[in-house]
Amino acid sequence: MSATMYSETEVVIVPKRRRREQRQGTRPRRAGVLSFGHWWWALPGIVLVIGIHYVATAVGGAYAFTDWTGIGAFHWIGLDNFVAIFQDPTKIGALGNTLFLAIASVLLTNVIGLGLALGLNRLIKTRYALRVLFFMPVVLSPLAVSYIWKFIFDFNGPINAILNSLGLQSWVRPWLADPSFAIWAVLVVIVWQQTGFAMVIYMAGLAAVPPEIEEAAAIDGAGLWQRFWHVVLPAIRPAVAIATTLGIVNGLRIFDQIMALTNGGPAGATETLATQVYKQAFSLGNFGYGAALALLLALIILIFAVIQQRLTASRPEEA
Amino acid sequence: MSQHHRSRVVRTGLVAAAAAGALILAGCSGAGDDNAASTGFTLSYAVTNSAVVAPYKALAEAYMKENPDVKITLNEVPNDSYGQTLTTQLNAGNASDAFQTAPGVGQTYSTVTLAKAGLLEPLADSATKVIPSGSESQFEVEGDTFGVALGLTFVGSVLNATTAKSAGFTYPTDWDGLISSCKDVAAKGKSLFVLAGSMPPNTGLMAMSISATRVYADDPTWNEERAADKTTFASSQGWKDTLEDIVDMNKAGCFQKGVQGAGFDSITSNMLQGSSLAAFVPSGSASDLKQNAKDQEFQIQAIPPAAGGEAFGIAGADYALSISKKSKNKAAAQKFADWVATADGQKVFADAAGSLPVGQDLSDTPFAPVADIVDKGDFVPLPNASWPNAAVYDALGSGVQGLLTGQKTVDQVLADMDKAWG
Repeated sequence: MSATMYSETEVVIVPKRRRREQRQGTRPRRAGVLSFGHWWWALPGIVLVIGIHYVATAVGGAYAFTDWTGIGAFHWIGLDNFVAIFQDPTKIGALGNTLFLAIASVLLTNVIGLGLALGLNRLIKTRYALRVLFFMPVVLSPLAVSYIWKFIFDFNGPINAILNSLGLQSWVRPWLADPSFAIWAVLVVIVWQQTGFAMVIYMAGLAAVPPEIEEAAAIDGAGLWQRFWHVVLPAIRPAVAIATTLGIVNGLRIFDQIMALTNGGPAGATETLATQVYKQAFSLGNFGYGAALALLLALIILIFAVIQQRLTASRPEEA
Repeated sequence: MSQHHRSRVVRTGLVAAAAAGALILAGCSGAGDDNAASTGFTLSYAVTNSAVVAPYKALAEAYMKENPDVKITLNEVPNDSYGQTLTTQLNAGNASDAFQTAPGVGQTYSTVTLAKAGLLEPLADSATKVIPSGSESQFEVEGDTFGVALGLTFVGSVLNATTAKSAGFTYPTDWDGLISSCKDVAAKGKSLFVLAGSMPPNTGLMAMSISATRVYADDPTWNEERAADKTTFASSQGWKDTLEDIVDMNKAGCFQKGVQGAGFDSITSNMLQGSSLAAFVPSGSASDLKQNAKDQEFQIQAIPPAAGGEAFGIAGADYALSISKKSKNKAAAQKFADWVATADGQKVFADAAGSLPVGQDLSDTPFAPVADIVDKGDFVPLPNASWPNAAVYDALGSGVQGLLTGQKTVDQVLADMDKAWG
């Protein structure tokens, strides 16, 4: 005897596979709504996605093994582009900057975002207005935001004006052209803009945590930190997985902010793989070399995404 | 009978419809062939500032005024994406019939680079005749000319003569005088030069202007020797002196405060507001500045030579006009190119671009300070137009920013340039 039970909704939308699964004593109904359609109806969409996305990407990736300049003929040169990348200190520096910005931004945005989400989850009366304020930077254009920050960091901008007015002339500097500070200035802008996104994900996660469990833990004598570490954090593990995965992917391919703030300068101090891909392929006419950099970047994003998913995935016993 | 009649009517109708359709189609294609193909064509060029009339637009408008039956469709492309846009369109086969190119091989849209890739149409002898002396290799490939030379540019600095006069400043004639002037001007809270230190095209241009007297005055064929591997940047004393002079200028306060992070906007604002006296920009920029500040005068100045050196400059055609190999309106575009190569066409472009008016008395023009250099022919074409790829110039520009921030040494910058040369 089959133990399968259907809700009224399931009866309507799920097609019946076997007649004997029908509940006894009920009249057979017409086929469910889901049977109205065939898998091959999706074929045009599948073909377009494969053709436009995957085939185009694969063809672009193939140029990584050529010396194509963007015009005219090209030669297959095997792995020469990749050898050149790893022998060039500026590209190793760009790789280091890419990893630094990705890891630092994902750590900072998630820690601050989680803190904001916890703070604005309950109790505070103005939490709705504060949520909007903290989320606002996310909806703004990264390019527009970066130009505003460029003005703030400018030699004649407000930061140096404040320092001058406080008598701290020795601290005044061209922040975005200072080799020691430029990368940190870029990081500040990225974190400022993306923290709101992490906050919203964590707020959605926290909304699913029943207050009763926290109350029970509190009654059992758990402190604030213990309640967070042993009750809340395990409960929002899926939110952590989503926020950190998106954060690391966005951090690895960061582009707009750097192009607007520093253009990779001073003298390459803030170059990343993404900015190098653009410059090599489109500004300097080394399309094959740029494609090799892009392939490398895609590979790094894939590796980090997989590692990060493994780290934050729910353990089987918790499922 | 009625059936026969009906079928005849149907048959007649079909024939009439087919004939009408053919006529309509023929009419459509005929209109395109007769009007667009024979006299009309498209023209692409880069634009940097919407407030300034692009010289290519001035050319097109003047030509259409002289030839009312010609319709030129203008495609204006932002300057920073022009190379990318043009090469993409050329690869796709849908580029404009005629377009702006850059003489030589230094850019992604350079004349010789595109010609060697088989993307350009050879031009008539009229184009060959206007190639500036010594610049043939920047327009010709295997005996054919692929670009009409336009806009003879002098590369030095542009001085705001009005501000300089009010500050009691006289442009120095030797290097020691320049360093000394930098200190004097800085003491008054201004800077002698404004430099877009975060923009490699501007820092690179400054280095090239200084290299005129340090490298090319002694050896005008230095680029050919570098191409033949007979010398390198790193082993060239002239190039070392060039970059060391920049370090000295920075120490002497020649540039505005915060120069390392400055963009192109600093050049315009400092030059027009009087906080800096001069800028390292092509001579044509004097015309752009004049359009923005009609009450001020601007002069073209050469960079002073080192002790014992002689005045020397860099001058050459900064622009070119080419025709697409796949153009469907080659005849019309070629007629336009022929006109551009005439004295009238060259003058229209020179006036609009503020270029060096060749063969004219320069004494009453912004070029008066460099008149001797031009008259004697003491100049070489733009060096980077003969460098094998854009990465060499980028290494120079980016390297100069590294010199200003202290990230790089002179030797490192020269080594980077040799590496980029390949």
